[in-house]
Amino acid sequence: MKPVQLLLLLLLLVLGACRQASGPPDGALTVTDDLGRMVTLPHVPERVVTLAPSLTEIVFAAGAGHKLVGVTTADDYPPAVDTLPRFSALPVNFEAIVALQPDLVLATDQVNNPRDAATFEALGLPVYFFSYHSLEDVLEAILTTGKLLGTEPVARRTVDSLRARLAKLAAAADTLRHCPTVLVLISDETLYAFGQGSYVHDLVARVGGKSLTDSLSNPAPVLSDELVLQLQPEVIVVTAGADYDPARLLRYHPSWDLLPAVRNRRICGVEPSLILRPGPRLVAGLEALLHCLHPELARKLSP
Amino acid sequence: MRMRPLTLSCWLLGLLLASVVAGVALGSVSLAPDVVVRVLLGRITGAAVDPVAERIVWQLRLPRVLMALLTGGGLAIVGVAMQTLVRNPLAEPYILGLSSGASAGASLFYLGFLPPLLSRALSMPLAAFLGALLALTLVYLVARQNGMLSISRLLLGGVAISALMASITSFVTFASPSPDKLRAVLFWLLGSFSGARWSLLPLPALITLLGLLGMMALTRPMDLLLLGEEPAAQLGIPVELAKRLLILISALVTGTLVAFSGTIGFVGLIIPHAVRALTGVPHRRVVPLSFLLGAAFLIWADLVARLLLPGTELPVGVVTALCGVPFFLMLLRRSHYRFG
Repeated sequence: MKPVQLLLLLLLLVLGACRQASGPPDGALTVTDDLGRMVTLPHVPERVVTLAPSLTEIVFAAGAGHKLVGVTTADDYPPAVDTLPRFSALPVNFEAIVALQPDLVLATDQVNNPRDAATFEALGLPVYFFSYHSLEDVLEAILTTGKLLGTEPVARRTVDSLRARLAKLAAAADTLRHCPTVLVLISDETLYAFGQGSYVHDLVARVGGKSLTDSLSNPAPVLSDELVLQLQPEVIVVTAGADYDPARLLRYHPSWDLLPAVRNRRICGVEPSLILRPGPRLVAGLEALLHCLHPELARKLSP
Repeated sequence: MRMRPLTLSCWLLGLLLASVVAGVALGSVSLAPDVVVRVLLGRITGAAVDPVAERIVWQLRLPRVLMALLTGGGLAIVGVAMQTLVRNPLAEPYILGLSSGASAGASLFYLGFLPPLLSRALSMPLAAFLGALLALTLVYLVARQNGMLSISRLLLGGVAISALMASITSFVTFASPSPDKLRAVLFWLLGSFSGARWSLLPLPALITLLGLLGMMALTRPMDLLLLGEEPAAQLGIPVELAKRLLILISALVTGTLVAFSGTIGFVGLIIPHAVRALTGVPHRRVVPLSFLLGAAFLIWADLVARLLLPGTELPVGVVTALCGVPFFLMLLRRSHYRFG
């Protein structure tokens, strides 16, 4: 045997011994999270903290809201979070989280730094990382959360009802003959928008629209006024609240007066957390988008 | 690499003109040259043109190029004034705390940290201008001593106030609850001409041109100030008055430009040095030529900011150093550079 092989064998033996020595107790659950990490839960978690608002909504959708013992300072939905203890998630306030004595920490690589996982492990807190990139991933995350927290039947019911709403939307969108071109803006003064690979383009397509910024290589581009003039969007959606004042857009960008969206008064505000937060309320976001893109159809759908 | 002043002036004027043409002809959306020409002719003759092209060329690109021209020129001459005032080649328009004061004022206003009564009376440019003025006033009060301005106190006070204002900006941006506004402020902090419009141009144009005239009138005192304050005083220059006038002009020009376009760095530092390398120290040449070169440089920097990523905007402040440094280092290596 060559020395290298010998060394490897030795290493394997040591590793195996370690594994045996610290094997999980009976009834423990070992799962692989979305980042490929092994997470071991000694028992069904009863005290859970979430490191992002989308995760809080997912936990509530999975029927395990009563297990939350703390949420981030950015959380605002559902109203039940108002009474929960808060901690800062960016940067993570580890002390506050340890003090809450959770037996599971839920995180998402959309907001949280995967490197924080090592710190949580050193503190003896199991952390499960989600990674969702589409509406389908979010529904999957609700089911996974239900499995992790022992509320699978509720999670399944929620997902089924969300799917039913999606099917209704899809059926309605199928009847449409005209797909308007849509520009989705995150902010109106500086024109932040969604570039290539964003799930927002999929949302727009699901309610019968064509998102205009889906081919920009930058994932979070700042659009130039010129480009918008050239794109000639038929509808402009601004994620700045349902009470968004369309006059603001023309005030900041006076040269846009001849865009079809401006001339035909098709500028529409949508609640930001319905679109920007990848949680179960994305379905409500879709319904709001349908209102913007096809108001007559939306009225028929929910009288 | 010295050139005769007249030849150099002609070159720089030609460069500026070419820059304006390029700035109007090119952009994040490509328009055919004949379309651009037709839009410009249409403004004169009143002929009908494609309305989208008209908006792009006349309402977006031209005011933007002019704003870049004024800002580049203005910051360059203020750079000259500051370098002469403190007799230090490292000086630039922001050395007395003007930009960090403006940044603090703008972030406090924009992120909603001012009392409502105050913020209703302000606008973003006004808040930035007042922030700049406040910072400079503090520095000025620190530097004043028995009716004289101490240059070393001016410099140290400027550095200290800059740090203070920068930490206010950092705190405000960190503590801000709204990410959208944060992005907008960041864009402003890095400097951008994307908001340029005809209606915003008159004030910066007036202040910058008045600043240029004022500096032209001060070229002889500036030449002598470079020799040192005592020699200048012995040669009959009212040194304290000249210093105050230079600070006043610099504050007004920089404060106004920063308020409208954000803190665009580097122009005010390198352009005066580049011009000195080309034409020598006399201010009657350095001031106007710095204006021309600074204006052309910033138009090109803005053009790069518009062209680098298709369809999207990049803050021009990101580009100035990126484009300027290689050119500047080359100039520094090649010429027999002399500061004073």
